[in-house]
Amino acid sequence: MTAQARAARLLRWYPRGWRDRYGAEFTELLMADLAEQPRSWRRTADVARAGLLARLSHAGLGGQLLGPVDQVTASLITLGGAVAVFLTFGTMMWSQLVIGWQWAPPGNRATTVAVLVMSAAMALFLVLALLAAVPVGWCLARMLTRRPAGQLARGLAWPVGLATLSAAALIIGGRHVQNGWPGTGGPAWPHQGLVPGGVAAFGWATTLSVSSYWAHPAALAAFPAGQIAWMAVSPAALAGLAAGLSMTVRRLGLPVRVLRYQARLGAAAGGVMAVFLTGAACWVLAGGPGPRNLFRPGAIDVLALIMMALALAAGWQALHRAWAVQQ
Amino acid sequence: MADRSGAPAGALGTFGRYAGPATLILSSLADGAKHGYALTKDILSFAGVRLAPGTLYEALTRLEAQGLIEPLPSQDRRRPYQLTAAGATALRAHLRAQRQVADVGLRRLATRWGPA
Repeated sequence: MTAQARAARLLRWYPRGWRDRYGAEFTELLMADLAEQPRSWRRTADVARAGLLARLSHAGLGGQLLGPVDQVTASLITLGGAVAVFLTFGTMMWSQLVIGWQWAPPGNRATTVAVLVMSAAMALFLVLALLAAVPVGWCLARMLTRRPAGQLARGLAWPVGLATLSAAALIIGGRHVQNGWPGTGGPAWPHQGLVPGGVAAFGWATTLSVSSYWAHPAALAAFPAGQIAWMAVSPAALAGLAAGLSMTVRRLGLPVRVLRYQARLGAAAGGVMAVFLTGAACWVLAGGPGPRNLFRPGAIDVLALIMMALALAAGWQALHRAWAVQQ
Repeated sequence: MADRSGAPAGALGTFGRYAGPATLILSSLADGAKHGYALTKDILSFAGVRLAPGTLYEALTRLEAQGLIEPLPSQDRRRPYQLTAAGATALRAHLRAQRQVADVGLRRLATRWGPA
């Protein structure tokens, strides 16, 4: 293998943004170093360590290899990703509970408190999302009116288009699937539940892919083909929405005061995640099956609890970095 | 938080365990701009320390993000870096603090263990 090929292989430890900026000069240095010391495990270990640190930094989770504003932006985007993962699993868990409540209220105190706490947290998530979207929408609108159309098309058309298409797929697909299963509530029990039946059903439909049925292919095969297709497509739509929004925010280059505002909202979101997780843990650990076995926690709920805890930890780390850089 | 350009900022004290490589790099750049390979050679000659490529660029990236050094137009594929005014101030303050520590240590050594 030539020195250039070896240097190129070492360079792959670094994230793309770093490679775009430093790749050529770093390759030159590596090739000079390889000429002096053809074999060195210390060099490989050093490059791997530094490359992984650069990846953490570009994800807003550690180090400080970016400028302050870019570092805070990266941290807030990672926090947004953590909230998205948290909400995917949280919505799956919450929607099955509020759908169960449409049939009959929970029979024990732990489950009742858990569902109330989780529902309040979901309402707060909605408020925070709206508060976060307003300045981003304002910046996007200002950019639309100020920049030439061609420049705008190159920079923002792809991420905005991806987010819009993904959101449309989620809304259309979710609305279609939620109406296809009577267990999601609907017209038969609209006044018995804690939340409107349509909201609960839509939450259930958009997170249908978070299911233990993946581990039971024979049972899954009995599902209608359209529902299986939706279970495969909806995670891609969720990921597309999160990726489109994060790319849009990154390319918008939000002003410092907006980043400060978003960091405060991020701290609030971290608190709401902790509250939701407490409620969810209360149900999984202390709740019972309830009437008609409607509130029985399953293995998928334990998995969801673990995933939410991991997302909360990643979100707090990103938030900590954002605050540290701001200080 | 400073502005988007990077900013005057942190003295080397905020670099934690990276203060060592950062001090070596800033000291090397104090007499003029150098690219990566020239930096490693210069640092090896005046400090006896061979900075590995990953460590060198980790420190360069941090120093640039903090506005203590800045890149010059690249020569072929090699890009030289030079000290900024903020970098010179930070290096001067850091070296003075280090000299104060060294002076105290040497004075106490001389008192207790005799002059070298």
